[in-house]
Amino acid sequence: MAEQMNDKIAQMENYIMKKCLWQFHSRTWDRKRQNENILGMTKRILLGQPVDKDTPEDRCYWVDAVTMAEAFRERCPWLADMTKDEIAALMDGLYERIDFLTVTGSLNQELNDQHY
Amino acid sequence: MPYHEFQCSKCIPERKQHAVIKGKGETLTDALPLGYLNTIPGSISERGCAYCGAKHVIGTPMKDVIHLSHGPIGCTYDTWQTKRYISDNDNFQIKYTFATDMKEKHIVFGAEKQLKQSIMEAFKACPHIKRMSIYQTCASALIGDDIEAVAQEVMDEMPDVDIFVCNSPGFGGPSQSGGHHKINIAWLNQKVGTVEPEIKSDYVINYVGEYNIQGDQEVMIDFFNRMGVQVLATFTGNGRYDDLRAMHRAHLNVLECARSAEYICNELRKRYGTPRLDIDGFGFEPMAVSLKKIGLFFGIEDRAQAIIDEETARWQPELDWYKARLLGKKVCLWPGGSKLWHWAHVIHEEMGVDVVSVYTKFGHQGDMEKGISRCEEGALAFDDPNELEGLEAMETLKPDIIFTGKRPGEVAKKIRVPYLNAHAYHNGPWKGWEGWVRFARDVYNAIYSPIHKLALLDISKDEIPTDKGFETQRMLSDADLSDEIKNSTTLREYTGKYNCLKDLRKKTYAPFERRELADAV
Ligand code: SF4
Repeated sequence: MAEQMNDKIAQMENYIMKKCLWQFHSRTWDRKRQNENILGMTKRILLGQPVDKDTPEDRCYWVDAVTMAEAFRERCPWLADMTKDEIAALMDGLYERIDFLTVTGSLNQELNDQHY
Repeated sequence: MPYHEFQCSKCIPERKQHAVIKGKGETLTDALPLGYLNTIPGSISERGCAYCGAKHVIGTPMKDVIHLSHGPIGCTYDTWQTKRYISDNDNFQIKYTFATDMKEKHIVFGAEKQLKQSIMEAFKACPHIKRMSIYQTCASALIGDDIEAVAQEVMDEMPDVDIFVCNSPGFGGPSQSGGHHKINIAWLNQKVGTVEPEIKSDYVINYVGEYNIQGDQEVMIDFFNRMGVQVLATFTGNGRYDDLRAMHRAHLNVLECARSAEYICNELRKRYGTPRLDIDGFGFEPMAVSLKKIGLFFGIEDRAQAIIDEETARWQPELDWYKARLLGKKVCLWPGGSKLWHWAHVIHEEMGVDVVSVYTKFGHQGDMEKGISRCEEGALAFDDPNELEGLEAMETLKPDIIFTGKRPGEVAKKIRVPYLNAHAYHNGPWKGWEGWVRFARDVYNAIYSPIHKLALLDISKDEIPTDKGFETQRMLSDADLSDEIKNSTTLREYTGKYNCLKDLRKKTYAPFERRELADAV
């Protein structure tokens, strides 16, 4: 079961790493904010929940989130067979994984530079 | 992801930390080349200086500006006309170059007087140009000339001119990247917010990190115009000085080359609340996704979709003609900075080539993260290469072509590896759908040029076959193709015009819409 979950996360991770740029902003705080907002919104979209996109900042996160949700639905047909709880757990796992790859486990020495 | 040690760099052990091979199942957290560090003594870098990064990459593409270097003539020479950032005002910014021509006497007695005289002379020589950028160099920085004060004096005397000062001497950073940073921040601090633009559309963007290499910006502006999106300013290719002073009024910053221009986007976000959207303008799919995202931001994604459908239908058969002939060709993708990640995945997917190595001359570790993520397993990724490492990589990887700058490109030619100029292009523009086909055509022409085979023969010792005529490109590229592809009636070679910008410049568009204005009437 856990293996299946990891395999699914890996497929989504592969899409993000190959096709997206939002996860690679230049500082730790920046990346954390991007990951949290964009992956958070993607999760809500996949769960059919409303997304707050009233400010320009939120709208910008949403643009990446909605594009990604569409791509996941297209590339990961197994999503359609999952329950909402399963999707929520999957997206939490994906968030943890992307945070690890781009922030906590990243070897990028510039991430904690105080200035931009 | 093991670090890779070049044989030729064994005597510089620190270099090992700058190269990795992307291993199977490994991630960025296993190994990442070091980057944006001072070049290690003993390694002959291919980098430029921070003045070059500020002036050559970012400053000079501004089109209605006298670009004056305050320094010895040599600094200017190296930044003149080597990059094809054209403009629609008869290329003023690349036709003329200006320097104060500092000499020994200026180093001893100061060069502020000379600077003022040069500014006046330049404005007199070009009476239709009222804007100027002055670039500090090592020499003027070290003697401490107060360029701002001189510029202010001139502006006080000539109220119709405006001058921007960029203090980014050559030594101000490990590479040209230090200069990108400095000019971004200097422009923001000195100039953004000093002009109020005319807002004509409900959808207003800045297009940032785009330098109009052979017309890339003009291709993109066409798409934005077709979508009804007003581009307030392009930072900086084909960009107008005063438009760039008004960047604070855009609703969205669309960022193309994050390596050279993320700084201004980040600061605009902090100071003015303008969000930053990173896009890819190269390749069919990335282009489509990028336009769609901009459309989504403004709620006009249907307009983006219409462009995507039209362009894809027009150009897909031509891209596929080249893809069929480029399948499996090995590429070393060795650009300066951002093209490492803009191209790594999409040339593989859409042109069928295999990227066997990526490098960056001045990228940061963040660029390597993006590039390594996007290239395939087994690729050799390295930072701040030197000439010998490049040669060693080409000898071991045996690429069919490399995409790089002209200095390493000429080195490649010596060992009969064709190269395309990743910075200045060959027959660009390469952005947009048509541009991407033009790029594929350039790759095809370079790989299959009969000259490479002929050049391999050494007339001093090899036997020269006299019983065979010359081989053509088509004979070489189609030798192993299936009949189905060879005789395809749907696939075709590039059918666009030699100069695809000519018509674009004459094109007219429907006026922008403004809801607020319409409501008010
Ligand atoms: S390093 Fe200094 S002297 Fe050399 S080109 Fe750059 S600015 Fe000029």
